[in-house]
Amino acid sequence: MASTIEQGEACMMPPMEVDIDDLDELVRGRVVVAMSGGVDSSVTAAFVAQKGWDAVGISMRLYATPPSSYTKSCCSPDDLFDARMVADTLGIPFYVANYQDEFKARVIDYFVEEYKRGRTPNPCVACNNHLKFDILLKRSLALGAKYLATGHFARIDRSGEVPVMRTGLDENKDQSYFLFGIPREALSRIVFPLGELTKEEVRDYALGMNLETAEKPESQEICFVEGRSYRDFLEERIKQGESTPGKFMHVDGQVLGEHDGIHQFTIGQRKGLGLSWHEPLYVQAIRPEEGTVVVGPKRGLFARGLVAERCNWLSFERPPGILECEARIRYRSKPVKAVVTVGEDASMAMVEFEEPQRAVAPGQAVVFYRGDEVLGGGWIEEARV
Amino acid sequence: MNRIYLDWNATAPLLPKVKEAMIAALDDAPGNASSIHREGQRARSVIERTRRAIARAINAPPQAVVLCGGATEGNNQILRTHAAFAEQKLGRKPHIVCSSVEHPSVIEVVEALGSQEQDVQVSLLGVDRLGRIDLDKIKEQLEAGATLISVMWANNECGNIYPVTEIAALCHEYGALFHTDATQALGRIPVDFEACGADYMTLSLHKMGGPKGIGAIVVREGIVLEAMLAGGHQERGRRPGTENVPAAAGAGAAALQVVDQLDAWRQALSERRERLLGALTEGLDGSFELRQDPENHLLNTINVAFHGVGGEDLLLALDLAGVSASSGSACTAGSLEPSHVILAMGYEPEDAKRSIRLSFGPLTPISSIDEAASRVIDAVTRQRSLAL
Repeated sequence: MASTIEQGEACMMPPMEVDIDDLDELVRGRVVVAMSGGVDSSVTAAFVAQKGWDAVGISMRLYATPPSSYTKSCCSPDDLFDARMVADTLGIPFYVANYQDEFKARVIDYFVEEYKRGRTPNPCVACNNHLKFDILLKRSLALGAKYLATGHFARIDRSGEVPVMRTGLDENKDQSYFLFGIPREALSRIVFPLGELTKEEVRDYALGMNLETAEKPESQEICFVEGRSYRDFLEERIKQGESTPGKFMHVDGQVLGEHDGIHQFTIGQRKGLGLSWHEPLYVQAIRPEEGTVVVGPKRGLFARGLVAERCNWLSFERPPGILECEARIRYRSKPVKAVVTVGEDASMAMVEFEEPQRAVAPGQAVVFYRGDEVLGGGWIEEARV
Repeated sequence: MNRIYLDWNATAPLLPKVKEAMIAALDDAPGNASSIHREGQRARSVIERTRRAIARAINAPPQAVVLCGGATEGNNQILRTHAAFAEQKLGRKPHIVCSSVEHPSVIEVVEALGSQEQDVQVSLLGVDRLGRIDLDKIKEQLEAGATLISVMWANNECGNIYPVTEIAALCHEYGALFHTDATQALGRIPVDFEACGADYMTLSLHKMGGPKGIGAIVVREGIVLEAMLAGGHQERGRRPGTENVPAAAGAGAAALQVVDQLDAWRQALSERRERLLGALTEGLDGSFELRQDPENHLLNTINVAFHGVGGEDLLLALDLAGVSASSGSACTAGSLEPSHVILAMGYEPEDAKRSIRLSFGPLTPISSIDEAASRVIDAVTRQRSLAL
């Protein structure tokens, strides 16, 4: 990817303070806008188009939706029609790009496989890493675009020598957790026009501009499970013989019962265990080899640290020495003080929290911050008690 | 930047005479063609003139021409009514056979009839790597009791021309009926209904400059075409519903242009094809593959796969460069699926996705053909340099 991104003129882009206003003076090229048919990406497209940039809207078709659930997900024809209408209102070209095969391989299969291994996957990060900021970015560049704009609530600060990623100003909407895996070289090619706005402001803009999607409800679910629970989705996909049944074991070694597949459990889970015990029990660990789900009281859920793999660093090639920063171990949890040490290759990191953290789940992302700067992140491999 | 439209097989720009005729009909013939008053008479005469014009364009008796809403409707009507009435009329259970490269309005109807109707047997005829149909395979189907064979005159995606006269003769040897969808052939090669021997033919006129939303079913004398809808006597009860008079006026004008211009158009297509392929071969050093029968194809259709370049990427790049082309068929949502025609020719899905279709018309300016070639070369070269 690096070589692709470094080709072209944008590498010579002068520094700038704020994404949209200062870019205005400098961008004379084409900007691809990833449009889902939702309000955020519609407003993103509107900003890009109104700046007079050469905007091109692209919707990624990620999976086929059965006719019965057309309204439930972002890849339904109805949503793509919404995106198409917004593009038409804005007078920009619009295309639907078919990424179903890639999405299945890199996101859906990964999602199912991770659960089968007793881990807790994060499909949104996988989609950003492999679809939006890899395939779509490359294709955008191949179409002659200089930038890819998306409706994420995060910022790219271009005031220094190299661009750095910052959190979205709206704390409630900040999506930087999902963006840690963007290749560092790609930051110069990405624009997040909504990073300084609140969700409310975005809706107001949409209403003010009379965009067809202004009042569309927020999507909350994992997009491809389409209105079902993700558990039902998993049950449909994990066939008999593919699941790993095993025992429930108390942390003190006592066997409490049996279950028919580790994919049904997540670290920290309390509900749906079907065990009776004199105190509430939580899933503390999952051992995929023998199918054991280790349960115990809440106090045992806390970990002093974690090991992260496949780390990606946004602010530097590798952390300069021991890194004091804040670590976020799940979306919407507050970043907590931590010390990070990387190995010889900077893709593996040991993280020690200042205060023990609850329910560190292998498979989730850990993202590192310094204030509002997003330093990088990695995938949680194991919790360190 | 001027746009260059190379998607005539999807739909063609309206011919100037067609547009004139439609506007005139909107002004002058606002009546219902079934009314007895003067307004109705005007409308009726538009319809009947169109019937005669289409009949002339394809050498058929006017009575054989049933106007309808387009080839998709016509194909449905022929196949579905055959399935419903074959036993009653032929004394045999319906057994419908079509090629695997037919338009979806044939192939999907045949498949649906096969899976939904207990008494209907259906079969698909495969094609070879060049998209050709083996007549011996048709013979096998006829020996196995086929009652209706449907093979298009010319293919919309690879441009192949099929030997419909031979197939019709073969069908008649075995007492079967033959249907051909001649939509892509009309205005590009001579289409002679009488001489080809087909029992049913379907047509649309918007691929050669006529309006959308109108077409015709042509039926051999002696064969009763059952209606799919009830509720009107129009088209002798074979296609009820108030006629679309302005569209009919346009269709009639388009058909007359076929009569007058076919020879000149064929000459123009040949010249354009040569220029486009010549420029691409030179500019890209021949690094592409044509996917069609090199012997029998429409001159206006080029189905081409450029080595190392995805069809979808290329189409987007071309559109942004002002060249309208296509590939496969778009789904409801508008994303591209590999062409079922190219898949039927035995290409793997990934490989099939590399196909794009450039289709032009006799009125595409030569300068646009040259400019399009240069834009295609640029886009292909750029895509290759990025090696996705």
